[in-house]
Amino acid sequence: MKKILVLTWLLVFVLGISVAFAEIKNPDTYVYLHIGEPDTLDSGYAYDNASGEVLTYVYENLISYDGVNLQKFIPVLSTEVPTAENGLIKDNGTTYLFPIREGVKFHNGNELTPEDVEYSFERNILFDPANGPQWMIIEALFNFQTLDDLVADKVGTPLTDMVDENGNLINPDDANKLIEFYQQVIDPVIEVQDGSVVFRLVRPFAPFLYILPKHAYWSNIFDKETCVEWGCWDGNADGWWKYYNVKKESSPLYDKANGTGPFKFTEWDRTQQKVTLDRFDGYWGEKAKIAQIIDWGIDEWGTRRAMLEAGDADQIYMPAQYLDQVKDLDDIKIESGKRITVTAFHFNWTVDKTSDFLGSGALDGNGIPADFFSDIHCRRAFSYAFDYDTMIQEVLLGYGERPPSVIPSGMLGYNPDLPMFEFDLAKAEEEFKKAWDGKVWENGFKLTLLYNTGNDARQTACEMFKENIESLNPKFKIDVQGVQWPNYLDAYKSGKLPAFVIGWIADYPDPHNFIFTYFHSSGVYGGPQGEAYINFAQENLNPIIEAAISETDATKRQNMYEEIQKIAYENVLGLTFYQEIALFPMKTWVQGWEFNPIQSGEANYNGVYKAE
Amino acid sequence: MIFYIIRRVLFIPITLFGISLIVFSMIGMLSPYQRLATFISSPDRLKSENVDQLISMYGLDDPIPVQYGRWFKNLLQGNLGWSYVGKAPVLQALLQRFPYTLELTLYSAIPIILIGTWMGVLSALHHNRTLDHSLRIFAVVGWSFPDFVFGLFVLMIFYSTLGLFPPGNLSLWAEGIVKSTSFRSFTGMTTIDALLNGRLDVFVNALRHLVGPVLTLTYVQLAYILRITRSSMLDVLQRDYVRTARAKGLDERIVINKHAKRNAMIPVATVSGQTIVGLMAGTVIVEAIFNRTGLGSFLALAAQQLDYASIMGGVLFFGLILIIGNLLVDISYAYIDPRVRLD
Repeated sequence: MKKILVLTWLLVFVLGISVAFAEIKNPDTYVYLHIGEPDTLDSGYAYDNASGEVLTYVYENLISYDGVNLQKFIPVLSTEVPTAENGLIKDNGTTYLFPIREGVKFHNGNELTPEDVEYSFERNILFDPANGPQWMIIEALFNFQTLDDLVADKVGTPLTDMVDENGNLINPDDANKLIEFYQQVIDPVIEVQDGSVVFRLVRPFAPFLYILPKHAYWSNIFDKETCVEWGCWDGNADGWWKYYNVKKESSPLYDKANGTGPFKFTEWDRTQQKVTLDRFDGYWGEKAKIAQIIDWGIDEWGTRRAMLEAGDADQIYMPAQYLDQVKDLDDIKIESGKRITVTAFHFNWTVDKTSDFLGSGALDGNGIPADFFSDIHCRRAFSYAFDYDTMIQEVLLGYGERPPSVIPSGMLGYNPDLPMFEFDLAKAEEEFKKAWDGKVWENGFKLTLLYNTGNDARQTACEMFKENIESLNPKFKIDVQGVQWPNYLDAYKSGKLPAFVIGWIADYPDPHNFIFTYFHSSGVYGGPQGEAYINFAQENLNPIIEAAISETDATKRQNMYEEIQKIAYENVLGLTFYQEIALFPMKTWVQGWEFNPIQSGEANYNGVYKAE
Repeated sequence: MIFYIIRRVLFIPITLFGISLIVFSMIGMLSPYQRLATFISSPDRLKSENVDQLISMYGLDDPIPVQYGRWFKNLLQGNLGWSYVGKAPVLQALLQRFPYTLELTLYSAIPIILIGTWMGVLSALHHNRTLDHSLRIFAVVGWSFPDFVFGLFVLMIFYSTLGLFPPGNLSLWAEGIVKSTSFRSFTGMTTIDALLNGRLDVFVNALRHLVGPVLTLTYVQLAYILRITRSSMLDVLQRDYVRTARAKGLDERIVINKHAKRNAMIPVATVSGQTIVGLMAGTVIVEAIFNRTGLGSFLALAAQQLDYASIMGGVLFFGLILIIGNLLVDISYAYIDPRVRLD
């Protein structure tokens, strides 16, 4: 027994002897730990923060925000930012010219040309992967949401009906139609002209510049020669459809990257969820201060925390609930910043009748009818029954604020003085008594609110509704049910959720990105609010939302968005819970880190370095 | 014996076919929207309205027999499909992760079996005395500890506080060496490859990264071996031949080691084999906590995300390991105990 003890301690000593607590571990390498890993390295497909964290520093865009100022642009691969004053925005805001910088090198040594810029945008538009971000570019340039819709409009048949799953034409006679479509619709919209790239929009689109800057990785600039060499679209009109909606893993850019950014892509170790970037010494601008970036997905919180504490990580992703575990650690500082994101609760006015969450499906005390929330009094009662302040205190530990509607603070259209609902159970009771001609109060109701397990915000929100609403009337019953993400997704997409909590992270800092998403009948969250809502939105909201996007006068736009938010308040189209203030724990030796509200994820490798 | 082995081997593809059919049918009972979770991994990704296109693109709405036929046809061509969780072809994803799990299993199995049997023998020899009770309590506490609690405990003490045993597979400098062109991978198991490459520094580093998960697995798993050894030893110690050996005046150590322990080890050997096979599939939590990128954590994630190609591949892979593992256990059992006849 003694021998074993001695041997054990000897082993510990031998293994541990090499451990020395360096002042700064890996001084030339910045290690950031988060959850997951990039979805893909193809900027045309990527639509997630983990991908964006990598792509933002490997590739570059035509322009960038001026540091953290999201209202001002600076040139990057374009030598000037287009404005009406410098003559680079013309034709009533439908033509934009970008003079392309010379002498810029890609990581493989190729030189940037205006043709690369034209190719990058055209390739992504023609690729338009399902569930990808290209809808932003297509909407801005063509006023359509998808290439499929654009082809359907111009050619008469949706692209998906003309091309099979392997990219081959179902009817070979369609080839000429699609070649003509490219030549007449796509090609003239983005063209090279005397060292500049010209974009011709079908109508003025106020936030056009906002979908182009750094952090908008869907607007990254590729090296055409390399892309073609790797197997991307060859730039020809004939056969472009073979490259449409290619499966994510089949894209030649899935695991390869060649940009002009300050870091070059070195390795994506998919077994360890780890991406390594190395400083690009041939970078045309100011070189990065740190030699290497390790962008590493470690899903277990305890492991991330331990690695930060031990100094093997410089920065980690931390949900607010873990703040107490980190805030008092030695050598740790916590940066914070208000994200351009909202979390909101929306009602389904016409629930799918096969839903399991309606109980009996009637107002008999054991369920709700499918159109329960089409009655404004029900929606209003729920809005008064929610304790907004407690939500922010409990879920975000106070790190958040409540915007009146879905436009976050710091953005055009935001106005803190707009009306919003306050927690008031007496008013909630009043509204329930009016709902469905008094039947709700008389008979009671029973419904199920779902949240996807692991999502604390959703769980807390649902439980708050339950507690407050059930306290009003013993006949009111709300079941709160946690389900795995696949089941939640199924219920949400099938229109079976009576109501849902859903967040939106800004793609670009313009109110259209939020207003359209939540309120337009074609918005991502429009459909799940049911057929009755869609009809309401088409009549009352769509026209003004569409007018606001074409309006280039900022004051007029502000008024239009305020009007939309007032309509949303008056008709109780949803309740905004909070805008999050994110927390970023890092070692005190991290210098030069700067929060940018629009950044992809949490890393910011621009000027970061390590020094005591 | 040889016919028995051939018969068992011939049954392997039939068994695997049956398993694949059952698992695929279970997955097929889920709606296409549920299976979309593979492509849309979180609410944050619900940002495009084209998700229905994904369903038809990947054939998630095809009849299940059609989907199974497509999968099986690819399987016959050696293609297990694409793993969305592993972000690689399924077979590649499995083979990349298997060495990490195997390495952890082997390093854990040694202390589990050695310490478990040693404690079991000690317990039996001190039957119903303080040492027996103490060892059993010690083991039961370990058995009762959830792996993630004990694992985090180990991580916080030995890594965060003492800086001794880090998580992951290797330190950054060691990983740089392993990924360099001068370092050859023979087995995929870092400790063994490091020795074969003559890199003692990498070997020690890899070993340091293994201590935490091995310690966790050992403590939570050894109770079973201890219990089997103890009861088997107690049974053997009461046998006539042991009494005879003692009556002959043999030294107690010889009685225990030569006569009693050998026979007591027969059930332990069987259980040890099963433990090793079981460990292969049971390292999910420990791999997650210690950030070891093995099969366990990979398949757990695949199940959460309903990545059916990975699930099917993983099921077949583990099925094969279990079948072969159990066959080896049966064969070794016959060799250890000549009374056992497999045919």
